[in-house]
Amino acid sequence: MTEAVFRETTAEPVTKSVPLSHLSLELGHLYMEDFEAGPDRLREHFAEVRIWVDAVRASAARRSKRPRISTCFLIDDYFTRFSTPAELIPMVLKEAEKAGLVIDYLARESACAVADRIELAESVMHRLVESPPPGSYGSRPPVSQTGWLANGQRTPTMSRSALGEVKGWQPPGETAARNHSVFMDVELWSEKDGGRLWSCPFLAAVWQLARLGLLRHLGEPVLEPQDWKSEEFPHDWDRLPPLIKLTDTKAAFSAYRTCTLMPNRFLAVEDAVRLILDQIDVDAGALRQVADRSGGEGMAVPAAVAQRATYVFYEEPGDSSEAEGT
Amino acid sequence: MTAALGQSARSVLACGEVRTCLLPSFQALDGRAAAQLLRLRADEHVRVSERPTMYALSPEVLTGVDCRLPTSNGSKVRAVGTVIARAALTEGRLLQSTAYFSAPAAGPDTRRPWGQYLVRPGLVEPFGKLPQQATVEGVLRGAGRGELDLGTIAEGLLTQLRRHALLDRRVPFKSRPTHLRWVARRQPEGERASLTNFTVAEGGLRTMELRLPEDVPAAAAAGLCEDLALHDWLLTTVQQMLDNSRIGAADGPSVVEALHPVVVHLLHLWMPRAHVDAALGHLWDVLEEKPGFSRQWEKLSRRIRDRLALQAVTMPHQAFSPR
Repeated sequence: MTEAVFRETTAEPVTKSVPLSHLSLELGHLYMEDFEAGPDRLREHFAEVRIWVDAVRASAARRSKRPRISTCFLIDDYFTRFSTPAELIPMVLKEAEKAGLVIDYLARESACAVADRIELAESVMHRLVESPPPGSYGSRPPVSQTGWLANGQRTPTMSRSALGEVKGWQPPGETAARNHSVFMDVELWSEKDGGRLWSCPFLAAVWQLARLGLLRHLGEPVLEPQDWKSEEFPHDWDRLPPLIKLTDTKAAFSAYRTCTLMPNRFLAVEDAVRLILDQIDVDAGALRQVADRSGGEGMAVPAAVAQRATYVFYEEPGDSSEAEGT
Repeated sequence: MTAALGQSARSVLACGEVRTCLLPSFQALDGRAAAQLLRLRADEHVRVSERPTMYALSPEVLTGVDCRLPTSNGSKVRAVGTVIARAALTEGRLLQSTAYFSAPAAGPDTRRPWGQYLVRPGLVEPFGKLPQQATVEGVLRGAGRGELDLGTIAEGLLTQLRRHALLDRRVPFKSRPTHLRWVARRQPEGERASLTNFTVAEGGLRTMELRLPEDVPAAAAAGLCEDLALHDWLLTTVQQMLDNSRIGAADGPSVVEALHPVVVHLLHLWMPRAHVDAALGHLWDVLEEKPGFSRQWEKLSRRIRDRLALQAVTMPHQAFSPR
């Protein structure tokens, strides 16, 4: 076929590609309670994480002789604002260094909601395509609950049958159940003071998509890391770019796969993240780019996006679970 | 394009339904407003083309399905996957929505994790073997109760768009929507696409069958079918307006009044294959040969122009003041 002579750029949108590492390794996720527990807590965290980092690197080396691995760290400034970048970041970097770890990229959690004035969470929400329960033939799923996402069919609300008697309880059902259901229903957001407060699993799903190089806005990459050469950090979270690059690593922030190291109390949250990822119709252009390039390097990614994320859940050192009161 | 990924699973069939209607807006929308209307997703572009006609195409959105395929012989085949829906606006005046999917010859006997379907948008997999002929006939006949319903999906998108705040929900004239159901059987790459059937049925229903080489995405077939549906709608609508105007019998301002909207809103919309994939443009030739879509359109528009010219000659003061 001959190339067209006449073109209109607005008629042929392009999806820009992003640089990709082999693995995006998350070294931790800091919440206020961790910070309040003091530097010892961080020290313990990184000491524990270090062991698993070595294991993950060894695992990556099985796929590639020279694996490109970038490390990242996430600080919560969305659910609770605490301390300042000036106070907190140097402490985090110092404790990581003591454990022999390097943090290449650092992100603020609020960046998963809005970054560079782009409503990332909102855009991702519009890409949810709910897993259809058997019997879905194209009409809107009757069980859809705004703001919630499930892995199956919910228990029907108590209703009277045609004859008027109240039916008994009916169990919910997991769509992909094998013999028995593990039903899960995830809250995606809540309304707060007229605004929308995104849930932790939903933001974490956006975070995973960013790390997997699958987020775009009108074809352009979003949440691009900005170089941060200074040792000084601002006194206000809003003055810190959403994602900063702290080292001169050649490994890109986004990667074919992700690995996240976290205490085992996050297991439920991350299961919810997988449930969400499994129902997001990600940008087709970005998806194809990742598939082509990972395939070209002989390390093809799993087809389903949720399968590209792996985790190490470790036991939190010390009696931290008591300190939290959870 | 979203459809390209679906291709890798080697579909043997692509099916769709196009609904075509007048945009419920007194004024035609300009390019910017069209892009706003069709912005089904905040993070994805609406394709806007201004030449040779103003044409805007929405991003593709998915609907998950898990149900029986429509079949003509009563065979009950469960299928799971996603149906693509998209909408197009031509010259800010004609609104179309299409729902379509592709199907492979066979699929697994169990349902996969949902994420695996989502990475192959627009692919609906049968449990076991696909009864091809029965599905072709079933789709063209229309979905039965509980069967995969392309019409419902296309209509759902249309309903959503008709409610858009941009629209005043006033139409400049009355018209009937049409729906066109189409199926495309896959043939080896390199063979020429062909149109094997185009049927005008009652109640605004059109059906169409084509053969589509493997390397031509289903989205391109959807585009061709939208183009044919649009021009068929124009012929149908203008013919109806002419019939209602009693052009042969009546005279005076009533004819002008009846034909005025055709001139203002429709005559300039005829532009076959303007936005059709190069690999499929020639399918128009068959319909130009017989029944001769463009010939009929020329005849209709000439008749309208002649009638209005005659009106201007005989009643020069009233001819151009229809209201």
